[in-house]
Amino acid sequence: MTWLIVAALLLLAALGAPLFALIGAVAMLGLHAGGADLTVVMVEFYRLADMPVLVAIPLFTLAGYLLGESGAPKRLVRLTDSLLGWMPGGLAIVALCACALFTAFTGASGVTIVAMGALLYPALRQARYGDSFSLGLVTSSGSLGLLFAPAVPLILYAIVAQQFNTTPPVSVDAMFRAGLLPGLLMILLLAAWSIYVAPPLERGPGRIDWREAGRAAWDARWEIPLPIVVLGGIYSGAFAASEVAAVTAAYVLVVTTLVRREIDAPRLVAAIREAMALVGAILLILGVSLGLTYWFIDNSVPERLFEWIGAHVDSKLAFLLLLNLFLLVLGMLLDIFSATVIMVPIILPIALQFGIDPVHLGIVFLANMQLGYFTPPVGMNLFIAAYRFQRPVLEIVRACVPFFLILFAAVLAITYVPWLSLVLVR
Amino acid sequence: MDAAPGDRARSTPLPLRWLHAAETALLVAAVLALVGLSAAQIVARTLFDGGWAWVDPLTRALVLWTAMLGALAAARDDRHINLDALTRLLRGTPLRFARFVTFAFAAGVSALLAWYGWQLVLLDRESGTPAFGFVQAWHVELILPVGFGLLALRFLVRAFVRPQPPSP
Repeated sequence: MTWLIVAALLLLAALGAPLFALIGAVAMLGLHAGGADLTVVMVEFYRLADMPVLVAIPLFTLAGYLLGESGAPKRLVRLTDSLLGWMPGGLAIVALCACALFTAFTGASGVTIVAMGALLYPALRQARYGDSFSLGLVTSSGSLGLLFAPAVPLILYAIVAQQFNTTPPVSVDAMFRAGLLPGLLMILLLAAWSIYVAPPLERGPGRIDWREAGRAAWDARWEIPLPIVVLGGIYSGAFAASEVAAVTAAYVLVVTTLVRREIDAPRLVAAIREAMALVGAILLILGVSLGLTYWFIDNSVPERLFEWIGAHVDSKLAFLLLLNLFLLVLGMLLDIFSATVIMVPIILPIALQFGIDPVHLGIVFLANMQLGYFTPPVGMNLFIAAYRFQRPVLEIVRACVPFFLILFAAVLAITYVPWLSLVLVR
Repeated sequence: MDAAPGDRARSTPLPLRWLHAAETALLVAAVLALVGLSAAQIVARTLFDGGWAWVDPLTRALVLWTAMLGALAAARDDRHINLDALTRLLRGTPLRFARFVTFAFAAGVSALLAWYGWQLVLLDRESGTPAFGFVQAWHVELILPVGFGLLALRFLVRAFVRPQPPSP
């Protein structure tokens, strides 16, 4: 009977059933088998209204969607181009930095490729970068930057990990600090590659057009305070994540609708709806998975898994290697939010037993997921890019190969050098 | 005023359009209140060292409400998170079949969750658990049976609806 149910659920999953329904079903079936009152599923779900950090997720997501709807991406590209465009590989580096900053705010939901790729791909082609390089760059940059504050995946990981009361604890602030160096490493490696393959400069090296830079800065005067307030507020430790989120959302709302007037009332309603549909989809999964986690812990599932894995894997290193491989596959199949909510409750207790710092684990997890976005054959961003640029998926896959290898090297470094994640935290 | 892509104006019956408009209006109001309240709370806290005790629990309740209303919007636009590696390859009748089975399943699970949400409401109404101010916990919890109930109905309806053309 149990196997029949498992098979049915797997079939439903393969046919594309909503994940929250699958998780809810597993939680209810498990609790029912244990003889529990199923109202506990809703008691756990209701804890969504009892987590102070959670408010950061709708607020940052809203800010990201509003920024994406406004002219901010265009101004961001113009400003970074005026400052970095003079370098060899400058425009490619502009693309990397602009995408990373944009993804940090929008949380890697494919918005980056659609909003930034549309601007950057033609610009790269015009600057005589190869077609394959340009496609690969904008596709793989679509998930770059999700290790930087205030990316929602970092917040979500902290929230899920906090359910386990680990020592040392996983605060949102700790995750924000931990992601900084690993994220920079990824950008540096990609920048080095870009400089290596870049076409010779047209403008001549070493010349910043200061007047254009000034004009671009003036054009972006309402956006410039944002990264300063957000990153400064978070990395200085002066404000909690939820406070920065509140200020950011209110500021972006006022600037885009009242000051710049780039978003009118109907578009505001549409943007709120779009953003909250994503938030709702994520939080619904988080809510039902709280019930599942309750059942896991009640049945000491993590301990049993650890015993089973411990019988086959004896070292931390071997465990990390297996984790990398497993997460790579997972990242192709699941988006980052559901992967975090579903897998972290299973992986975290095991990793703790192997003596892995929970904050380091979070960065490893998310860095792997970032790679999964464009891992062939089924990474989500490959399809978004194919759709957006009207190319066959295979062509996009081929274009992404060098970028994949570079970022894979970065992920390995992040995995096996915990210092990168932890030096700013502990 | 409703800019929902899932809402093809004339094909949707009037009462349903009213429901959609009400959902969107409530969602927008909740989000704007969420932004306004949490920003005001910070201003009050930093400038006057004050703030209001009821704001924090209210914003947390608003997070739950926006999540449920957002989930309803996601269902209307077919944007609930799923594994789509296989369904991407399906067309025509197999796709209609897959959607029927999975959405009917989602409707069933949602209905169960709505039922247990209702049990929670009854439980907390009986015990009179307070939430904040004059608001009781069961007032906040009402969104659970209502939200999951509507979600169940919506999935049931969508199980029969023709899929929209693919988009990223």
